[in-house]
Amino acid sequence: MFQLFRKNRMWRARPLKSRYRVVIIGGGVHGLSTAYYLTKLGVKDIAVFDKGYLGGGASARTTAIIRSNYLTPEGIPFFDQSVKLYEGLAKELNFNLLFNQMGRLDLGHTDAAVYALRMRTEFNRILGVDSRMIGPAEIKRLVPSMTLREGLPYPIIGALYHPPCGVIRHDAVVWGFGRGADRGGAELHPFTAVTAIDRANGRVTGVETGRGRVEAEIVLNATAGWSSDVARLAGVDLPLTTHPLQAMVTEPLKPFLDKTISSANLHAYVYQTDRGEVVIGGGVDPYPSYSMRSALLPMEQLAGHTLEMFPCLSNVKVLRQWAGLCDMTPDYAPIMGAVDGLDGFILSCGWGSWGFKAAPAAGRNIAALIATGNTPDIIKPFALSRFHQGRLVNERAAAPAAAIH
Amino acid sequence: MSFLLKCPNCGERSVDEFRFGGEVVSRPAPGAAESDWSSYFYFRPNAAGVQQEWWNHRYGCGRWFYALRDTTANAVQTTFWPGQPPPSEQP
Amino acid sequence: MPSSNNPGQSRLEPQPGETIDRAAPVEFRFDGRPVRAFRGDTVASALYAGGTRVFSRSFKYHRPRGLLCCAGNCPNCLVTVDGEPNVRACVRPVEPGLRVRSQNAWPSLRLDLLSLLDRLHWLMPVGFYYKALHRPKALWLLARRLIRRVGGLGSIDINAAHHTEFSSRSLHADVAVVGGGPAGMAAALAAAETGAAVTLIDDQPSLGGHLRYTRLQAVNPRQAGNPKDELAAAVANAPNIHALNDATAFGLYQDNLLAVHTPGGLVRVRAKQVVLATGVQETPLLFDNNDLPGIMLTSAARRLASLYGIRPGREAVLAISGNPAATAEAYQTALELLDAGIRITAIVDASDGASGEAAQALRDRGVTILTGHRIARAVGRGRLKAAVAAPVGSTGYADGRRIRCDLLCMSGPLYPMDALLQQMGVSQPGVTLAGCATGVSGATGLDEATRQGRDAGLRAANPAPNPAPLPEPLPAPPAPMPAGKGGRAYVCFCEDVSAHDIAQAIDEGFADVQTLKRYTTVTMGPCQGKMCGRALSAICAARRPLSSAEWETKDRPEVSGGGDLFTTSRPPWRPVPLAVLAGRERMPLKRTPMDRIHRQLGATMVESGPWLRPHNYGSPADECAAVRQRVGIIDVGTLGKLEALGIGAPQLLDRIYTHRFSDLPAGRIRYGLMTSDNGVILDDGTVTRLAADRYFITTTSGNADVIEEWFNQWNAGGDNCAHIVNVTAAYGAVNVAGPKARETLAKLTAIDLSPDKFRYMRSARGEVAGVPSLLLRIGFVGETGWELHFPAEYGEYMWNAIMEAGREFGISPFGLEAQRILRLEKGHVIVGQDTDAVSTPLDVGSEWAVRFDKADFIGRGGLSIAAARPAQQRLVGFIMPPSTAGSRIVPEDGTPVVSGGRPIGRVTSARISPTLGRGFGLAWVPPHLAEEGASIQVLIDHRPVSATVTLQPVYDPQGLRLRS
Repeated sequence: MFQLFRKNRMWRARPLKSRYRVVIIGGGVHGLSTAYYLTKLGVKDIAVFDKGYLGGGASARTTAIIRSNYLTPEGIPFFDQSVKLYEGLAKELNFNLLFNQMGRLDLGHTDAAVYALRMRTEFNRILGVDSRMIGPAEIKRLVPSMTLREGLPYPIIGALYHPPCGVIRHDAVVWGFGRGADRGGAELHPFTAVTAIDRANGRVTGVETGRGRVEAEIVLNATAGWSSDVARLAGVDLPLTTHPLQAMVTEPLKPFLDKTISSANLHAYVYQTDRGEVVIGGGVDPYPSYSMRSALLPMEQLAGHTLEMFPCLSNVKVLRQWAGLCDMTPDYAPIMGAVDGLDGFILSCGWGSWGFKAAPAAGRNIAALIATGNTPDIIKPFALSRFHQGRLVNERAAAPAAAIH
Repeated sequence: MSFLLKCPNCGERSVDEFRFGGEVVSRPAPGAAESDWSSYFYFRPNAAGVQQEWWNHRYGCGRWFYALRDTTANAVQTTFWPGQPPPSEQP
Repeated sequence: MPSSNNPGQSRLEPQPGETIDRAAPVEFRFDGRPVRAFRGDTVASALYAGGTRVFSRSFKYHRPRGLLCCAGNCPNCLVTVDGEPNVRACVRPVEPGLRVRSQNAWPSLRLDLLSLLDRLHWLMPVGFYYKALHRPKALWLLARRLIRRVGGLGSIDINAAHHTEFSSRSLHADVAVVGGGPAGMAAALAAAETGAAVTLIDDQPSLGGHLRYTRLQAVNPRQAGNPKDELAAAVANAPNIHALNDATAFGLYQDNLLAVHTPGGLVRVRAKQVVLATGVQETPLLFDNNDLPGIMLTSAARRLASLYGIRPGREAVLAISGNPAATAEAYQTALELLDAGIRITAIVDASDGASGEAAQALRDRGVTILTGHRIARAVGRGRLKAAVAAPVGSTGYADGRRIRCDLLCMSGPLYPMDALLQQMGVSQPGVTLAGCATGVSGATGLDEATRQGRDAGLRAANPAPNPAPLPEPLPAPPAPMPAGKGGRAYVCFCEDVSAHDIAQAIDEGFADVQTLKRYTTVTMGPCQGKMCGRALSAICAARRPLSSAEWETKDRPEVSGGGDLFTTSRPPWRPVPLAVLAGRERMPLKRTPMDRIHRQLGATMVESGPWLRPHNYGSPADECAAVRQRVGIIDVGTLGKLEALGIGAPQLLDRIYTHRFSDLPAGRIRYGLMTSDNGVILDDGTVTRLAADRYFITTTSGNADVIEEWFNQWNAGGDNCAHIVNVTAAYGAVNVAGPKARETLAKLTAIDLSPDKFRYMRSARGEVAGVPSLLLRIGFVGETGWELHFPAEYGEYMWNAIMEAGREFGISPFGLEAQRILRLEKGHVIVGQDTDAVSTPLDVGSEWAVRFDKADFIGRGGLSIAAARPAQQRLVGFIMPPSTAGSRIVPEDGTPVVSGGRPIGRVTSARISPTLGRGFGLAWVPPHLAEEGASIQVLIDHRPVSATVTLQPVYDPQGLRLRS
C-alpha cells in the first residue's frame, strides 16, 4: 500500500553503450515482454530501442482483448499459455494491469457462422480451453442489452461463449513489463530509431541507431506494423501486408455491458471498459497502408453494425476514432523464431490483429530461444520457414474466397 | 484514407468505390524453382512508400487498372491500364 | 437554494443580440422539477437563469461543477435529456416537455454521497489504480466490481429502440468553408463571387461567429451597421453558397473530405478546397479550486449575457493571463458586464501594466485593476465565494489578497481551433486557414479577419497550380502555468487530474506527452483535450528539463530529444451519436425470382451468403425421399452465372481453371475447379460450352462477383479477346432431379430428354413451358436431373409450371438441407464448408480435375509443389456404426477427429444418411487414415466414437442413377 505514495521511477534513462548481447528493436509490448523474460532468465546486456515512446506503436492502439479461443491445434495452446500468464502478471510485475476477465461472446447469425464457431468451440474444449456454444436464451441472459434480432435479417442464433476472455489496460502492460525489464537490468532507449542492421558472415553483428552504432550478438525484430521495413534492414523478406485497423470509443456510460461481443457476420466487436466507455472495433481495412490517419467510412460502418446489435446505443456519442497498423500474414498466424541463413536475427512479428494477447507467451518463449538457442516446441509451428515448406497454420480456416475478396 | 483514386475510365472517385487487388508482382515461369514460387505466393515487398498495385473499380465500370500509390500517405501518384507504361513514361 | 421556477430571476434587460424570445415561454423538467425558459434558451441557460449553479458531478471525485465554456466543449454541463446520455446542456436548445436529468450523482446533484471520494483524493494519487488493489487477486476482483458500479457518466435505457433514423448525404463543393464568423463568411462570399460552388458549414443556429455575442459598437465604431448582419445577408443572397447551420464539421479526412454532423444526419462534403475559419477558443487558468461553480471562461459569461440575457453573476472578478489579444477581449468583456449592471470587484491582470481605452474606461468607472497579480486560489464550498490574488511569482497564499465574488471570468490565451487541420497534419494540400484560426486577434481584428477571409476564399476558388505553402500560423502563446500549490488546480475537468498529478507523473518517468497522457488520462475524457491539451503540453515541456537533476544517471541521453509536443488530434472533433454515423440500416439480402413462392409454401428461410434461401419446406427427410424416389425441385437461382465470350474465351478458361476447356465440344459440360496460384481451392461449378466462342459458367452462391473480378484481373492488360459477363441476376434457375425428372420435364418441352439423346453432362437450349431455357444435365444430388436456366422474369411461372407438370409424379420442392444430405451421400464437396484456406484439389481427391499437362494455369505452381510433397491431410468419407436405441449417431459439423485425446482432423459435414440409416459424413484426416475401412474416432457429445473411413460415395457409387 505504501508504494502508493512513493515516487518510484518507472525506468531509468541511460547512456548508450557500444555493445550489447541482445538488441530488441521495438519498445512495444512484445519487445518489453521479451526483455523482461530475458532478465528473468539471467540474460545480461539487453537494450530495447524504439523510434518513439515506449508502447507507442500497435501497443498504443490495441483494443486489448485477451482471449485464447483460437482455431488450430497450434494456435490454441500458444494463446492459452498467454492468457494464463496474463492472469498472474499483475502479481508478478507488482503492477495492477486492470485485467477484467469478463468473458466473450462470438455471435453466429447464420448456419455457416455457427458451423465455424462450433469448430472453434470443439477444438478449444479438447485442448483444455473453456469455450462452449450457447443458444439465444442464454445469450439474452448474459447480455440483456443486446437485441437477438428476432424477425430481422441475420438474427443471432448462437454464440461461442469463452468465459476467460478479458480486457486489460494495455498501457499498464507495457509499463509493467518495461519497469520489470528495467529493474532486471535491461536498458530501455525510447526515441532511438534503428536505421541499419549490420551483418557479416551470415550473422548479425550490430545495429545503427540515431544515437550511434552498437554491436550485438542477437537482434530481435519486434516492430509490429513496421516489421517488413525493419526486416529489410537485415535483408530478410517477410510474408506480410500491413493494413490499418480502425477502432473508436464512445463517451463513458454507466455500466450496461460486461461481456465482449464480437460478430464476424457484422464485422464488429464491442465492449464496455471499466471507465464506462464503449470500445468498438472491426476488421482491418481492405487495402494495405502505413497511414494511421482515420477514415470516415469504417466509422460509419462500425456505428451501423454496433446499432444492429445494440439499438439502445443510438444516442451514444463517439468520442474518438483511431487506427493502428496490423501486419497480416497469409495464414493469420504469427511469425516467431530464428531465420534460416542469418544467425542471430530473431523474429517476433506477423502479429496482425492478434498480437497484444500473445505478448507474455511470445516474450517468454522468444526469451527462452535467445537464452538457450533452442526453439521451444510451442512456437515451433510459427517459424518463418513454414511459408517455404508449405506448412501454413490454418488459422483462417473457412472462407477460401476471402483470399481474393 | 478516404482518399481519391482516378479510374482511367471513370475519373477521380473515392477509394470506397474500389477494391484493392494486391501488389503487382511478376509471376514465376512454369517450372521455376520452388522457392521462387513460395516467394511469389506469400512474400510481398509491402513497401512503406510507392508501390504498384491492382485496383478494380468495383462500384463503377468494373475494370482493373494499376495505381502507383505511396502507402505511407495514401497518395496516389498515377493510375494506368495494365499492359501500358505509366503515364510518365508514355510518349 | 434559489428556485428554478422563474425564467427571469437572473435575466438582464433585453440585450441587442439575444436569441431568446421573451414572449415565448417554454417549460421542461430538470430532475423532476419544472423549469421555465424562453424559446431560444439552451437547457443550461434556462437552468442558470433560474439559479442553478451546479450542473454535474465530476467523473472521479464527484466534485460539483458549474458552467465553464458555454460552447459545447467542456464536460461540466453533461446531462441526460429524454434518455439521451451525456448531452451538453449549454448547446442543447430547450423544447417544451424535455425531461432533463443530472448525471453521475447519487442520491442527488446537491447531495452526492460519492463526493466523499473528494475528501479522500489524497489516497488516490495519480496512477492509483496501477499501484494498488491488485494483491491479493481477490481484492482486485472485489474492487473491480465496485469500480464498475461507479464508473461512467450518463446511463442508457437498454430497452430503448433505435427509432430515429438519420439519412446520410454526400455533397461536392469547389470550396468548403468551415466557420460562419466574419472570416468564414467573407471567404465564402469571395469564393462565390468567382463562380465557385461554395458550402459554408457553421455549428451555430445562425451565422456570425463571435460577433453573435460580442458588442460591436466598441469593436468598430466607424462601422454604421452590424457587419455580422450585412455579411449574413450577402451569404443568404448568394445563389452559389450552400450554408449549413447547426452543422458541426467534426472530421477532415484525406483529400478534403469533411464529415459534418447536421440535425438531419451525416453530411459528407468532398471539396476541392477547404477554408478553415474556425476561430479561437479559451482554456481555463490553473489555480487551486479552479473548478468551483461560478468560475467560467470569459467568453462563457459573454455568451450568457449577450445571447440569453442572463446576469452571469453579481460580483465578478476577471482574471487575465494571456496574450495581448486575449487581454483586450477581457477588458472589453469587463466593460460589457459593467454596462449590464454587474459589479466588477477586481480585474487581476498578470501583465505589468494595463493600458488601452477599455482599461482606462474601467479605471474611470472605479474598477480596481490589480496588475502583476494572478489568481492563486478560489474559495468556496460548492460555489464560488471569493478569489485569492497573489503577485506573479509568489508560490504560496501568504501575500494573497482575498476578493469577494460569485463570478470569476478566466481569460487565458486564445488558441486557434485548428483541430481539423491537426487531424490531417498541417501540410494538407488544398486547405487554407483564415481569420482567428490563423492566430490573429479576436474581435479587435475584425477587419483583418475579414480581409484574410476574402483572400482565403479567392485563393481557394482559384488555386494556383503550385500554391505557396500556407503562412505559418502565429506561434501559440504559452499556456499559463499553475499558480498556488497546484494540488487542486485542475488541468483536466473530465477526469479530475490536477497540475500536481501531472508533475508527479512526469517525475515517475512518464516524461513525454503521449505517455503522460496515457498515464494521467488527461485529454482522454469527453472534452478530448479541448480544455486541457495545451496545459498538459505546457506543463510537460516545462517540467522535463526541471526534473533532469532528479534523473538517476547523470550522463543522461537526450530523452527530451523525442516525443511530440501535443497529443494527437483525432476525429470526431465533437462527439457524434452512433445513430448519425450509422445512417439507415443497411442489410441487403438478395432474394431469388421465386422467393414469394417459397414463402407461400411455408419454407423456413435462411441467410446463405448474401442470399435468402429455403432451408426446408417442413421435412428435409421427406424432401430427400421425394428426390430419391420421385422428383424434386430446388431453386438454384443463387448460383453465380457468368458467360465467357470471345475467341480468346477458351484460353482464358484454360488459364483460370485447373481443368481444360478449350477441347470441350459445344453442348458439353465439364466440372470446373479453380484455385489461387498457390493451389488452394477458390471455387467450383460447371462450365458449359455453348459455342466455339461462348461458355456458360456457374460459380458457388455468393461468389459470382468475386469470381468475375478474378477472371477479369487475370485477363487484364493482355491481348486475349475474352469477356466475362455476369448474368447472375438475369437468370433464374432450378434443378429438377429424381427418377421422374425426365417425365416431368418432358411434359413441358419438345427437347428430346431420352437417356441416349440427352446424356449426362450435356446441355441443350430450347423452350421449357414456352420459356427460352438452357438445360444442363448435371447431378449434384446424384439423380437423373436437369439444371434449368431461364430469364429471371419467368421465375414464378417456371416454378409453377414444373410443379404442375410434376404433380402426377409426386413432385416436391426441396431446400438447402435436403440438398446437403443428398450431395453428401454422393461425396460431393461444398467449397467453404468442406474445404478451407489451405485445401487443395489434391487433398479433396479431385486430382482428376487438375490437368498438369497444360503448360500453365493459375495454381499450377502451387499444385506442382504440393503434388511433390507428402499430403498433410485428406478429405474422406466416414460411416458411423449402427445406432443403439436413443443414442445420437452422428457428430456435429466442425467437431474434431481425435486420436489419444488429441485432435488430428475434423468433421466438415455429417448427417444421417437416408440410404444407410446411419450417420455419415466427410472429414479431414491424416493421410495414413485415408484408407478404405480405416477406423477413426469422432466425437459425439464430447465422447470418442469409432467410425469407418470410406473413399466411396455411400449412394450409387458407380453413378448409374445419375447417368440413367
